[in-house]
Amino acid sequence: MAMRLTVQVQLVLQALLRDPAKEMYGLELSEETGLQPGTAYPILLRLEHEGWVTSRWEDVDPRAEKRPARRYYRLTAGGAVEASAALAGARRPKGAALRRLAGRGVA
Amino acid sequence: MMPELDSPKEARRKQRVRVVVVIGACAATASAAVDGSRFHASWYWAPWVLGLTAIVVFTGVAMAISGDLPRRRGRGSGSLRASGRDDVGPAAVAAYRCRTLVLVSRMMPGPAGRRWLAEAESLLSEITAARRGRAIRSYLLSAPRLVLMMWAQEALRRVRPGPRRPR
Repeated sequence: MAMRLTVQVQLVLQALLRDPAKEMYGLELSEETGLQPGTAYPILLRLEHEGWVTSRWEDVDPRAEKRPARRYYRLTAGGAVEASAALAGARRPKGAALRRLAGRGVA
Repeated sequence: MMPELDSPKEARRKQRVRVVVVIGACAATASAAVDGSRFHASWYWAPWVLGLTAIVVFTGVAMAISGDLPRRRGRGSGSLRASGRDDVGPAAVAAYRCRTLVLVSRMMPGPAGRRWLAEAESLLSEITAARRGRAIRSYLLSAPRLVLMMWAQEALRRVRPGPRRPR
């Protein structure tokens, strides 16, 4: 089934596509896109279900780091290609979302 | 140096001991409150001081380490658990725990709910208290749709033959 590219999905994909090899965790993505974490999570889950994104738990000792492990997300090779193509054909995000990205020099 | 960790069995045994001590201390304090005359006048303070101290100390310790205790959920041998898809990450140090999120996570299919909760707790422990309220609200607002989505995926996974997609 084709991925529905809402503005929120586009924001997440753009954040991940900025450096497709880089892994990003929930909070980082949330700050990057301006989306609330509760909004970003279902999107990441759907992207993962579609095979566009892969995720893993951070391999750290939570006691040593004094924080719980993070869940890292990264675009798969196929996902990066499909996401780029989908974004190229999609309508650009408008309004507040676009202004936020523009403030970061992305849009 | 890393502190030496108790085995899950040992941790549970200690937890039980703490519960017994707190119940005993509560009983002693309540006894002093209800019928203080049974204690000698010069020792009247003892059950109060010792009881309340024990309650505060042991409750504090229990709260401080509650995130480190192994969880009972997910240790069974049900079909979901036996399929090796429990994906809650490394032994969790839950720095922040929201009771409502725990309840909501239990409405989701087992492994998916545990993962959602683990990710939410991980994120909430890293943000400031000021932003935490909005973040929790966003998790709760998206939860109903997520619960439906997860159960739909779970139903499809059970119906579909062949190898299961790893999470």
